[in-house]
Amino acid sequence: MITLFINGHARQVKAAPDTPLLYVLRGELNVMTPKFGCGLAQCGACSVLVDGEEVRACIYPIIALEGKQITTVDGLPARWQQQRSLPNAPDRLHPVQQAWIDEQVPQCGICQYGMMIKATELLEKNPSPSDEDINHAMTVSGPSAHLCRCGSYAAIKDGIHRAAAIIKGAELITTNTVEG
Amino acid sequence: MNIEQNDNEETQSVGEYLIYGAKLSRRAFLGGSGALIASLALDPKLAFAAANGSQPTSLDAAKPASWIEIHADNTALIRTGKCDFGQSSIFTAYRQIVAEELSMPVANITNVVWGDTDVTPDGGGTFGLLRTNVQNLRKVAAYIREAVLTLAAEKFAVAKDSLKIKEGVIQAGNHTISYGELLANQNWSLSIPVRGELTSFMGIVVTGEPPMKPVSEYTIIGQPLKNPIVRPKVAGDNIWVGDVKLPGMLHARVIHPETLGSTLLKAGPLDKTLFANSQIVTINNLLAVVSSDEWEAVQAARSVEAKTQWSDWQGIPTTSTGLQQFLHDKPSWDDVPDMQSRSSKGDISLPVAKSHSAEYFMPYYKHAPIGPMVSVAEVKDGKVVVHTHSQNPQFLRMAIAKMLKQPEADVIIKTYIGPGHFGRSNGGNAGSEDEAALLAVKLGVPVRVQWMRHDDMQWSTNSSAMLSQISIGLDEQGRIATYQAVHSGPPMQDDRPIGAILAGKDTILPPTPDNPSFLHGLGIFIADTWVYGSVENIAETGRGMYQLGQQESPINVGIRDHSMRTPIQFQQNFPRETAMSEAAALAGMDAIDFRLAHITEPRFKAILERLKIEADWDTRPSPSPQARANGSEPALGRGVSIMLRDNGYWACAAHIAIIPDTGEVKVERITLVSDTGIVVNPLQLKRQAEAGCIMGVSQALHEEVSFDNSKLTCTDWQSYPILKMAEVPKIKVVIAPDKTATMYGQGSESANALASSAIAGAFYDATGKAIRRLPLKPDYVKKALSA
Repeated sequence: MITLFINGHARQVKAAPDTPLLYVLRGELNVMTPKFGCGLAQCGACSVLVDGEEVRACIYPIIALEGKQITTVDGLPARWQQQRSLPNAPDRLHPVQQAWIDEQVPQCGICQYGMMIKATELLEKNPSPSDEDINHAMTVSGPSAHLCRCGSYAAIKDGIHRAAAIIKGAELITTNTVEG
Repeated sequence: MNIEQNDNEETQSVGEYLIYGAKLSRRAFLGGSGALIASLALDPKLAFAAANGSQPTSLDAAKPASWIEIHADNTALIRTGKCDFGQSSIFTAYRQIVAEELSMPVANITNVVWGDTDVTPDGGGTFGLLRTNVQNLRKVAAYIREAVLTLAAEKFAVAKDSLKIKEGVIQAGNHTISYGELLANQNWSLSIPVRGELTSFMGIVVTGEPPMKPVSEYTIIGQPLKNPIVRPKVAGDNIWVGDVKLPGMLHARVIHPETLGSTLLKAGPLDKTLFANSQIVTINNLLAVVSSDEWEAVQAARSVEAKTQWSDWQGIPTTSTGLQQFLHDKPSWDDVPDMQSRSSKGDISLPVAKSHSAEYFMPYYKHAPIGPMVSVAEVKDGKVVVHTHSQNPQFLRMAIAKMLKQPEADVIIKTYIGPGHFGRSNGGNAGSEDEAALLAVKLGVPVRVQWMRHDDMQWSTNSSAMLSQISIGLDEQGRIATYQAVHSGPPMQDDRPIGAILAGKDTILPPTPDNPSFLHGLGIFIADTWVYGSVENIAETGRGMYQLGQQESPINVGIRDHSMRTPIQFQQNFPRETAMSEAAALAGMDAIDFRLAHITEPRFKAILERLKIEADWDTRPSPSPQARANGSEPALGRGVSIMLRDNGYWACAAHIAIIPDTGEVKVERITLVSDTGIVVNPLQLKRQAEAGCIMGVSQALHEEVSFDNSKLTCTDWQSYPILKMAEVPKIKVVIAPDKTATMYGQGSESANALASSAIAGAFYDATGKAIRRLPLKPDYVKKALSA
């Protein structure tokens, strides 16, 4: 049995050690936000954060993830809450998720689970990314570019800038409840 | 007519009104809080076309699960057979249009039931959402409003036309009553007149002409309503089609044939010591591996596939590299009758002062959804239930029933949110749905078929290629005297499910010249509406053919085609608009001014003039004074394109940079100006147009299906690349509706198609060399520059 830490919780996993994380998350653990897109680490729909770094779950074997902290989009609100020591609020969203609503980013949305993971990785390292920084993050920093077929790239850029603004605003009022 | 007040009557109708052809009747009160339910009245003539072999449908005309329900708490529910692939229209524009017609706050429309064949009323494909399809719900809402006004007039003993409705409340002099209050403790049913056949491609259409709310009184249409499905999507609260899990479900991977024409000789062995939970299933040429564990199914299928033997087949009569020449050289186009445009007129053989004649080519494209097709099927209570995402679930239901030789009444399609397909799933053959159904029936357990990336790239349908000859003759003044276009290529609509074909099961007829269905007759109609009203002599011809390899294939498939965003019109607009930019140069005129000189429609003039301002357009003839076809420094250019689609007028300007020595093209900015008439939701239109435009840039720069004589050879995102974030131009979308328009406009398709021709125009401007084929890959660009 391998123990994985998914969204802050230790989970015992029965799958064979060479099983890609995506099949374990979706099949065994019912963590459904990472999506199957290509199975080849070419599109980014399955991305998760592993100790704050983007990893493609469709090819990454679970044996390499023992003891590491894995975050999916389902776990973004809790991650944010913990980072900012915010009071528990069931409806809370991560600023990236809120920005995605405010800017109406998704078209079909299947790629956005990976896009939001990548945006979170970027904003945790660089709270004020330029357009160039966003292009770099989404195009060349990972195993492949993050692909969107509907063409929501411009909206994603707007979303990341808005998320950066939400995060800055939140820093000023960390003692107050931040509405999701 | 009177309304009887006896609530103790059992089931019979106790009061009836005729509302512009819709029948309003009150059923005796049978409990609950009361409601008005608009269901559909089927024309008895439609029950049912046994003569032409179609199956009766299961929809009970008396069943209340239809159209719109208004509840006692003054909320409403709407139902539609249309689906959502991210456009948001059924969750935003549809609610706005219904709310507007009812004069009810849009927030009161709390529920949209969509897509499932057993609980939605109208069927038909998810296209033209705001053009034709929404008219069903809009008319039903109008019928309901009129019905409710009739009831209110009677209640308050006032004339109906003295009543007003505001915010869902009817005002009768000093009296006010909400829809909900009026309907409380009563059960009303409104039968809506309709025509059509539920499981046909077009579905059921609401008939009659109830009075519509005047556009001048609109307050809800035009608001930038946010899409309510975005929050659950980004929070991870939705069940996507790929997330569906059923008890006892097996995971399947289909091993598709080695070529488009192969038949199965021998399935590879399954190593049970490695894959203990797996088994092989074959139905004729349909080969699958199923397992209770998904990753095991993936591995087992790979292992079986490696040793499976297929017959060889090399029947595709050309390859992707030879396709343009093949179409150019094709000795006869007599298999399929030519089609002429309605705009064709005059005499194109008139002598002209100068002429521009050239050949243009568009390749096959993939729809290429980010998530490959996935479906789950089960047999439940004697019915086959397919959980999938389809743009036309009722048509898919017909196809599944036909395949299984089951009555349509015994097939249910459940539709979930899923990846965008851009037209591919509109006929119900997107892939995997039929395979899941066949495997579930055979194995007697629920089966989930997930296509892998290579299945999707190689076995899904394609947007078909087109070769176009364009000749533009100019008179002494440089005005267009003659315009001739001949557009030639395979059709865009094969609705047969591929799994059914592989398994040797029944499908609708293959596309052939004598297919009785217009959609499947192989003809190429002229889809690009003519817009240059001052031109007197026009000849536009479409020449169709069989799908490539279809006649040579032992299973009658070949390179299967299916509509993709702006189908056919994209393929015809690219050559027309690219040629128009070249003809403008020949006339020594600016490309926008040249278009303005030939346009008679004031709405087009308005957006082209606006485009000049918004795009900061540098008015002058092409090529640019700085144009160069060599060097390592960027050559800069700008181009324009226009399109009329779905009552919407569109103009696009592209500014690009080319490095001649490397053939690299960068699209720097795109400006879109649209007059789509009544804008139902400017926020969603802007996002759709922006996204559609980005997909268009992707097609212009990168996309081309590669194939050899046997099969498609693009298998993944490296062999079929699409646009990446760093390549996205600056996009400005300007929504400039004509205030006198009376029709709703829609969006992303035109935006998708316009980028390519504007980019090609800009290429000519920047380099002085024409590029007449897509995509603008470095190889083609260098070839064009050295021409």
